[in-house]
Amino acid sequence: MTIERWFEDVEPGMELPASRLAVDPVQMFFFSAATFNGHRIHYDRTWATEVEGYGDLVVHGPLQAALLVRTVTDWIGGGGRLLEFSTQNRGAALLPDQLRFTGRVVRTREKDGQHLVDIELAGQKMDGDEAKTIMPASATVALPEPGR
Amino acid sequence: MSLVPDETLALVGQEIMRTSGVAVLREGQRYAAAVRDANPLYHDDAYARRYGYRGAILPSLFLQYLVMGAYRLDELRKDGGAATGDAAGIPLPDCPRIMAGGVDWRFHLPVYDGDVVEHTRTLAGIEEKRGRSGSFVLLTSRNTYRRQDGELIAESTSRLIARPAG
Repeated sequence: MTIERWFEDVEPGMELPASRLAVDPVQMFFFSAATFNGHRIHYDRTWATEVEGYGDLVVHGPLQAALLVRTVTDWIGGGGRLLEFSTQNRGAALLPDQLRFTGRVVRTREKDGQHLVDIELAGQKMDGDEAKTIMPASATVALPEPGR
Repeated sequence: MSLVPDETLALVGQEIMRTSGVAVLREGQRYAAAVRDANPLYHDDAYARRYGYRGAILPSLFLQYLVMGAYRLDELRKDGGAATGDAAGIPLPDCPRIMAGGVDWRFHLPVYDGDVVEHTRTLAGIEEKRGRSGSFVLLTSRNTYRRQDGELIAESTSRLIARPAG
């Protein structure tokens, strides 16, 4: 996945490759383990449904945030730098929801000698082909210029 | 009646947490594996050097986990969450239901294996608000992550929503 993303090739409106996926209990287990997170809503279905009132196990918000970062870092390649990243939690994702992570370039600019790209992102829950955004987000990245 | 006790309001502007940790590349790789993020920057020194890094780096968002303590399981809340979580040190006895609202990150420097990271959290604001589903408290905290030499690695502003029981 060695890609080179140059600033001069990027324009507002450009879409980042979206990913559509379903998180499964194995991935959720590993994410809890990697982040030392014991919260029962991510692995104890009885607790999630009967005590906390969710319809099923809850996908970690920080895992969705990490999948949004992946959307950006896969697109910028090794030469890009993630400078800013913001998320808002609007709703929960549950197993076995189909999720989609999308991004779109909203602005390109130069500041202090850096070539910056502002990206609008969305973590979405799919209902068939209908997408509901549960984690709106944004990122600013710096991209290289050829010959620099 | 206010949902925020006076002694909690008095914490605004104060440092409420200070932790530190050593960056371990393998732990960052495990996190990346759990995300199914196969970025070679987290694995391949030669690849990373080609792009101006000193070697493989840790995933940006892993910063918040590498400074976490190894808390004891008998100190967990009933729901299995850490009592040292995001609202730790902010007494809100009338609002036990805490939800993450969002985070704004600014990244300044990459993190390498062996870096010692110091994290400080300051309570930036407490606001009582009224929403569609009743009153809640919005907590805003500012986090800084510095390297052993004092250089700023990253900053974040996180928002938590605390609601009354029921």
